[in-house]
Amino acid sequence: MNPNKSNCILTQCFALMKPALLMLSVLIAGQAAAHTPAPPQQRPIAIVNATIHTLTQGVIEEGTVVFDNGRITAVGTNPSIPADAEVIDASGKYVYPGFIHGRTTLGLTEIGRIAVGTDLNELGNINPNIRAQVAFHPASEHIPVAAVNGILTAVSTPSGGTIPGKPAAMMTDGFTWEQMTLKEGIGLSIDWPSMNNTDNYLKALAELQQAFDKARRYKQAREAMEAGQAVFHPTDVRWEAMIPVLNREMPVFISAGEVRQIQAAISWGEKEGLDMVLVGSRDMDLVAGQLAEKGIPVMLSNVISGPARQWEGYGQFYSIPKVLHEAGVHFMIAGDASAAYAYRLPHHAAAAVAFGLPEEEGLKSVTINAARILGIDDRVGSIEPGKDATLMITDGNPLELWTSKEQVFIQGRRIDMTDKHKRLFERYMEKHRQEQL
Amino acid sequence: MLVIIAAFCGEAHAQTTRTMGLRDNTPGVFAFTNAEIVVEPGRHISGATLVVRNGIIEAVSRRVQIPADAAVIDLNGRFIYPGFIDMYSHYGLEDPEENDDQVHWNPQIRSHYSAAANFRPDAKQAGRMRSQGFVVAHSVPAHGLLRGQGSVVSLGEAEANRMIIRRDMSQALSFRRSPLFGRGYPTSAMGGIALLRQSMLDADWYVSAHNTYRANPGLERPETNLALEKLAGARQQGIPFIAETENENWVLRARAISGEFGLELWILGNGHEYKRIDEISRGGHPFILPLNFPSPPDVSTPEQALNVSLEDLRHWYLAPGNPAKVAGAGTTMALTSYGSQDKFLANLRTAIERGLDENAALAALTTTPAAMLGIDNTHGTLATGKAASFVISDKNLFTKESNILQVWVDGEHYPVKPDREEARGKWLLSGYDKLEGASIELEGQANRLRGHIRLDDKRTRLARVSYDNRRLMLGFPGDTLGIQGVVRMSASISGDQLLGIGETASGEFFTWKAGRTEGPAGDPSRNQRSLRPLDLPERFPSMEYGVTAIPEQPRHVVIRNATLWTQGPEGILEGADMLVENGRISAVGIGLTAPRRALEIDATGMHVTPGLIDPHIHSSIAGGVNEVGDAITSETRITDVMDANTVWIYRLLAGGITSATLFHGSANPIGGQNAVIKMRWGQLPDELLIEDAAPGLKMALGENVKGNTSRYPNTRQGVEQIIKDAFEAALEYGTAMEQAQHGQGKLPVRRDLTLEPILEVIRGERKAHVHAYRQDEMLMMIRLADEYGFTIGSFEHTLEGYKIADELREHGAGAVAWSDWSSFKVESYDGILHNARLLNDVGVLTSLHSDNTQLSTRMNWEAAKTMKTGVSEVDAMNFITLHPARIMGIDHRVGSLEVGKDADFVIWEGHPMSTFSIPAQTWVDGRKYFDRETDQALQQEVKQERSMIIARIIEEQQSAARNGQE
Repeated sequence: MNPNKSNCILTQCFALMKPALLMLSVLIAGQAAAHTPAPPQQRPIAIVNATIHTLTQGVIEEGTVVFDNGRITAVGTNPSIPADAEVIDASGKYVYPGFIHGRTTLGLTEIGRIAVGTDLNELGNINPNIRAQVAFHPASEHIPVAAVNGILTAVSTPSGGTIPGKPAAMMTDGFTWEQMTLKEGIGLSIDWPSMNNTDNYLKALAELQQAFDKARRYKQAREAMEAGQAVFHPTDVRWEAMIPVLNREMPVFISAGEVRQIQAAISWGEKEGLDMVLVGSRDMDLVAGQLAEKGIPVMLSNVISGPARQWEGYGQFYSIPKVLHEAGVHFMIAGDASAAYAYRLPHHAAAAVAFGLPEEEGLKSVTINAARILGIDDRVGSIEPGKDATLMITDGNPLELWTSKEQVFIQGRRIDMTDKHKRLFERYMEKHRQEQL
Repeated sequence: MLVIIAAFCGEAHAQTTRTMGLRDNTPGVFAFTNAEIVVEPGRHISGATLVVRNGIIEAVSRRVQIPADAAVIDLNGRFIYPGFIDMYSHYGLEDPEENDDQVHWNPQIRSHYSAAANFRPDAKQAGRMRSQGFVVAHSVPAHGLLRGQGSVVSLGEAEANRMIIRRDMSQALSFRRSPLFGRGYPTSAMGGIALLRQSMLDADWYVSAHNTYRANPGLERPETNLALEKLAGARQQGIPFIAETENENWVLRARAISGEFGLELWILGNGHEYKRIDEISRGGHPFILPLNFPSPPDVSTPEQALNVSLEDLRHWYLAPGNPAKVAGAGTTMALTSYGSQDKFLANLRTAIERGLDENAALAALTTTPAAMLGIDNTHGTLATGKAASFVISDKNLFTKESNILQVWVDGEHYPVKPDREEARGKWLLSGYDKLEGASIELEGQANRLRGHIRLDDKRTRLARVSYDNRRLMLGFPGDTLGIQGVVRMSASISGDQLLGIGETASGEFFTWKAGRTEGPAGDPSRNQRSLRPLDLPERFPSMEYGVTAIPEQPRHVVIRNATLWTQGPEGILEGADMLVENGRISAVGIGLTAPRRALEIDATGMHVTPGLIDPHIHSSIAGGVNEVGDAITSETRITDVMDANTVWIYRLLAGGITSATLFHGSANPIGGQNAVIKMRWGQLPDELLIEDAAPGLKMALGENVKGNTSRYPNTRQGVEQIIKDAFEAALEYGTAMEQAQHGQGKLPVRRDLTLEPILEVIRGERKAHVHAYRQDEMLMMIRLADEYGFTIGSFEHTLEGYKIADELREHGAGAVAWSDWSSFKVESYDGILHNARLLNDVGVLTSLHSDNTQLSTRMNWEAAKTMKTGVSEVDAMNFITLHPARIMGIDHRVGSLEVGKDADFVIWEGHPMSTFSIPAQTWVDGRKYFDRETDQALQQEVKQERSMIIARIIEEQQSAARNGQE
């Protein structure tokens, strides 16, 4: 790789980093130890003199982005700035849309091994009525960690069984789950059953098929009832929850872990006439041509991983995004599912770039392309007038691990940039000061 | 039992068994005439006669006066071979009950167990072995680490005491405990080896303790231990120890441990010897080779084939050539049917097809094992005075067309189960006028026959054909052939003749016969077309990405015009050169002059850093990374179980890693002794070692060690106490050893391999590397170390290290940490990104680690994460180079690019901390072990090699299917 590919040349990096850290300490000193959710945007904000990566309209050097009431109102080299606007001079800085993590346990678990604090897996295999957002724990320490690292939208996703429920797109700042929900029910999750044991597979598949068949019968009966053509049919919360899927108003996100599952899922989804997104990584490259031809979008659930097979090249997983891109597959990248590691998302996109994905595509895979596949591109994913002012100011390329996100905004709200890491850091910096270390 | 005795008629002078009822005095005198006698490997006598009297060969030669009392058996040119000797079996040994005899505290140590004392002849098993040509077996105990004593037994059928030829003439050992004897210590291979080692020392101690006690009866009475007594005796008498091995690495391990204790070692091979034949044959130990070739990997569908490794594919193809390789290397080689059972002969013939010399094969089944077992005066060749135990075959036994016809053991004939009569072929009918001159052709698989019947120019498919070994049955519509309705026929087969009856639809009953005019297509496995040999390069290891040769070490290498991260006082040099001479860095600077023939690498625009060092991984360890059988297992050594056959070594090189520490897991407060290696891909396990690394001892605190509720400790407080107790024990042991050296007429002090490494830690001769998460446990450990006067080498993981950075610095412990792991368990909840920064800030020797082999392939990115918290790029690079080198005590060799150090370095196409950067080349010892461009070619080679072997599997399977093979 050419070092210049990175926006942050070595020396500049550190020139930028020092003031950033200073600003940080000032911020922290004036605040309570805990991260506090930000109030709604009070007055217009204009970020000026920034290099703006809009992701849809190219890169604007020396640009300005204006937002008010939580929405972007203007983007350009010289848009008019409201008189009452707060102006942030971002000379030498960069503005990017917030990252979107498509598949995480954020808010649903705190410490993986503590079962009682984890709300991911409801009893039974068929749980279409489960709504992720209602157990989203606003006080989770992992949420600010994600936010200050630029993950401003996170799709919290239940898991387990064949239909674990409906993920929700959450904003990573707020006092209640309701405030934090950007879009509920972004889709219906289906975890394609393992095909390693035929009996178990056929059993699970029959169960899945039955869920869809029953939901269809339910929909038909209820519609007849509502049209006055049938007797009373009581509510079934499970099948009720599936009606938007049957109406193709809501996509299914089908997780498939290997080539047999991928092709089985595609065939099934087509037969059922579903609006379908495939979720996975392994073997997606093997069927890239088919995915492109059928126009099926893909959420890559992992990029940073060792090869699945001993004979595969060491960069096999890292190269999957490149292969999909070259085949013309519409894809996004989701990172580690673990709540504590949601913030690692850009690293996955960066690793794909290191192994051949064009850098711009890497950025899109965690912003605008993610928004499109998740159906939230009307709100987030790019810097465009009318969209939420969910964006970040950075001191460099946000795909570089050394880059600092200096300030993030969610719907124009200036987010408290402290998190548990920084809080503990400051606490022990204070210890060092007291002990004159 | 009576039946068996009746069958075995020997001379009454040789036995004490009381005769019940009538005596059996059938004469046992035979003359086998007109035989092709192979008297020993390489010596045939044609048209010869073999005379047997009462189980012993009386004569064998071309000119023999046939005794008047001999029953003459005309062999009519058939072959006689000396009976085979199976060098390794568990023949006649039933699994023992769980050991409760308390001979030794550990039930896996059973050197006293005697195969002879527990031997029960097993007619069924003996028959199976005889069917493969065996007449004698070496019967070896099957369970435990030190398994006990083997015996040589005859494969005839009579009472046990008549079948034993030599007893208690070998000892068997293994590195894996038997699950028969509970689930306790040792649970791992390294624990197994440690217990073997300790047992050898204990046996020495036992003899010396009892000698001292006999001379000084006033002393404390030492324990009585039959296992140790037998072990000491066996070693003293030079009795061979047979080590069971799983692959070529276990051969090397067996050799190492037997070398330590001067054992007479025989190796039970494994079929993987060819992978390292040069090294393996160097030891000069005899090999007992099984012929259990692997069945082909499942490539039946494209997706199944995807999941098959090149390693398995290569082994499938190469394994049948293994015996030839072992024999060709000049090793003493005996063969065994162990593991191949009824496929032994078939596999032997395959091995011969793949290059094993027939005489070498026969020697490995007769003269060699006879000599090894000390029965060459009675067995192994066909000579006057030797046991009349031999094999008769129709043709050269080593060719696929041959069959064993008879096996004789000690002058007794044991019939070999005949091959089922072959029904296939072309038969000419006679005896029934309506079908006179008809021909029947039968083909297909032996158990799924098909065929047709033809009369003149008319032909009908057989609607039904079956053959159950008693009768052949046919059914067909007779109309085409001029018989109304269904015709049903059945017949007996004897050789090439059929004798049958039949019935037509009209009720006509008839008899018929037929003779075979054309043979069957034959046993397809025997007639299979020999396919062209595949041209597979030798690879080390024999798997994907294995090297065909160790990369060369150019005398001089010069790197030109690089951004050079020296990690030394010179910092980062721009536009700099580095000169390497014979694998060491000889100069670093601007505009260096280099010898004219130096290999020059233009690194303009590139960065060169020291090879990355990961001070904590668990890869390349065979047989378990934890010994969970006890809390204190300091005696276990990673160096005993290193495995260089892991593709991760190559992948680590691709990520720029050149050195790493292989650690035990964290199941134990005191886990064991670690190994520090270089990624010398393609070399042997021992060759990976950095010999002069500081010795280390892995310890662990916190959740992992206290989680086992069946074992002390269950709390962090208990962890402190058990470690303290071990320290006290080690100190007291040290004192006892010192006093013992002054000799005071006491019992000798028993060497204790558990306490010795702990004592070394206390004495500062070995570094303690302590797995810890929470600050309280680290502080506890620091205080404990302070109390015993040593400095902790490092804390491992050190998640809350930042909370007591001052204490770590004060004590002098290094800190090995993750960049950002947290919250996966309770004790990790306070893990923060700034940990390394805070530790480094106050001067703690700080290093990053992976603890995870995949993570280890991208340590540059781990370091980059710390830069975001304010760590300088040089310090961040130190975390993955110089600092871990210091912590592991290898900084005199690696960790920086300074004159005199090993030429271990990485060439990066961009800034090494950029997420867009990956290594272009990785060098170890001045040898280029990884090159991104070469890797592209190698990936293609791997693909081609895989498809070539997969195609061969499919080819063989299709050709077998065509030939009707099951």
